[in-house]
Amino acid sequence: MGADPVAGVMTDTEKRFTVAIIDDHPVVVEGVRSWLAQEPRLIVVATGEDPDVVLADDQPMADVILLDLRLHGHLVIDKVAELGAAGRRVVVYSEHTEADVILSVLDAGAVAFLAKHEGREHCVTTVLAAASDRGYVPPALAGAIVGDRRSGRPVLSEKEREALLLWFQSMSKASVARRMNISEHTVKQYVDRARIKYARAGRPAATKAALLARAIEDGLVRAEEIIDYRSYASPDQPTP
Amino acid sequence: MRVELPALASGMSRAYVAGAAGTPPGTGNPARDVVADVAATADRGSRVAAVLIAFGWHLAINVPAIVGSWSVYRAPWTVGVGWLVFVVVGAISAAHLLRGTPTPTWRLIAVLLLVEAVVFVNTPATLLFQPANWGWGTLGWFVVLVLWGRPVAPLVAVFAIEATVALVAVFVNGAGNAAGLSRYAMYTYGTATLPIAFSVAASVLRTLAARTAGTATARAALEAERIAAQRARAERQERLSLVNRTAGAILTELAEGRADPTDPAVQRRCALEASRLRRLIAESDDVPDPLLHELRAAVDIAERNGLLVELVAVGTLPALPVHVRRRLAEPLTATLASAQRWARLTVVAEPAEVVVSLVTSGTAADPVGPAPPVVADEEVEYVYERDGEQVWAQTRWRAS
Repeated sequence: MGADPVAGVMTDTEKRFTVAIIDDHPVVVEGVRSWLAQEPRLIVVATGEDPDVVLADDQPMADVILLDLRLHGHLVIDKVAELGAAGRRVVVYSEHTEADVILSVLDAGAVAFLAKHEGREHCVTTVLAAASDRGYVPPALAGAIVGDRRSGRPVLSEKEREALLLWFQSMSKASVARRMNISEHTVKQYVDRARIKYARAGRPAATKAALLARAIEDGLVRAEEIIDYRSYASPDQPTP
Repeated sequence: MRVELPALASGMSRAYVAGAAGTPPGTGNPARDVVADVAATADRGSRVAAVLIAFGWHLAINVPAIVGSWSVYRAPWTVGVGWLVFVVVGAISAAHLLRGTPTPTWRLIAVLLLVEAVVFVNTPATLLFQPANWGWGTLGWFVVLVLWGRPVAPLVAVFAIEATVALVAVFVNGAGNAAGLSRYAMYTYGTATLPIAFSVAASVLRTLAARTAGTATARAALEAERIAAQRARAERQERLSLVNRTAGAILTELAEGRADPTDPAVQRRCALEASRLRRLIAESDDVPDPLLHELRAAVDIAERNGLLVELVAVGTLPALPVHVRRRLAEPLTATLASAQRWARLTVVAEPAEVVVSLVTSGTAADPVGPAPPVVADEEVEYVYERDGEQVWAQTRWRAS
């Protein structure tokens, strides 16, 4: 059931990333902090229950913001959009795993969505990937993408969809690779390419642009593909 | 152990099927069929009535009139043949009408109009407005048969043609004076209104019957949904109280220090309660889909045996026939029954595809695997794979 390490992150091993945790339950903050503490590349620099306080100018700058979606009874999707537009890398984590919630969080510009019960390995992997503008896809997020029926949804290839479906089912990329008769690396590519298609869709955000730029750098997509897409669909077009 | 397990598995499957049979209707599309049936039944009565009126008129009114005027017709045999032609046309349309097959409309109407004209030509001027000129008054009832189920406009058009033929006949026979024309108007009105009224009434009856049946069906569906929702709520309450009890017990033991958080058995109990609570929270559907209902029932039983199960459903399930639902659920619930330690059950639904998958750390059943790797029938594909300890079973339905 283990999460796979994100290829590419290893090149940044020397660098340490700063993380802010925003959650209105102190016990969850402590739990997540202890998960991240086991990863030497991550340092938690700020925690709290109010995003405006935790991310204030006098606070240490965090590379990645781990944000609980429900703060004091409200879903803070607007906050995700605001931070995403400002280029802050937000990883949303929540117990609200309904597909439409997950998809609207992605649309708002979150780098990733993590279900609270998905555990330490997925959490660490997601934060590490986000720090380098890579959108790791935990199983709950894969499920939401596979089940996306909105009319303006990105078009996934047959293989991308199958890889996401099997990843959602089994939570093991090795199993997916065996099942699809391809390498684990290819499985990861299919999943990441599907994720990148979501970065191209919906309202534009600085975080989405950063994801796309990193995807081009990693050779996951070609720049022309993205330019084609941008000219084809106006970025201001809201997703239905 | 190995002997008992298949029995346990099949017993469980039966339990779910029994549960499924009691779930509300909602699969297939029986509602539309019921509405069509009721409308057809109501319409059949009107069709029989139309046939009876046409033939009743043709026999009871026309036969005595023709026999009585036989000697005065210009060519009696043509009138007799005309009467027989009406019988044949009537029989053809009645047969089509009662069988519900389409009638060769316009050819039959042309024949009827031709016969009517022949009768006009044969009838002496003095009998123009008498039953001897039977074609005029009879045509309408036969045209109703031929044009059954069509809008009223073609019927009116045929009456217009008939009225023109009659008007020509009135003038040719030298009855074009004021008295003759007013009799003509009365006669035309009299022959046209009744068949048109009958045809309109039958069409209204058809519409009303369909609408009433539609309302009744919708009400029944709503009621069934309400009962299902009530039952779902009750079941959820029951499970919540169970979880309350068991989760409360472990929390109390932890608080009082009787349970040791480092003990793997205690950790396992906590994980089990957490997954139960999570599933209760995730149940957002007011009326559970029958497939989810079956899967949840299987998960409940597995959890009672101490298995840690995660059930995740994505998308809205389309209405599936019972046999498809059964083929989707049964292979997996059977495997789930023999699973050990943990299992992950996922459902991904789209309008034209449903994929159900079970991944588990291993089963107590035959280590070779109980099923061939791929079993595909016309609708549901079943894949079973065992890789070392891990078992992966998947059923997939695609709309054909």
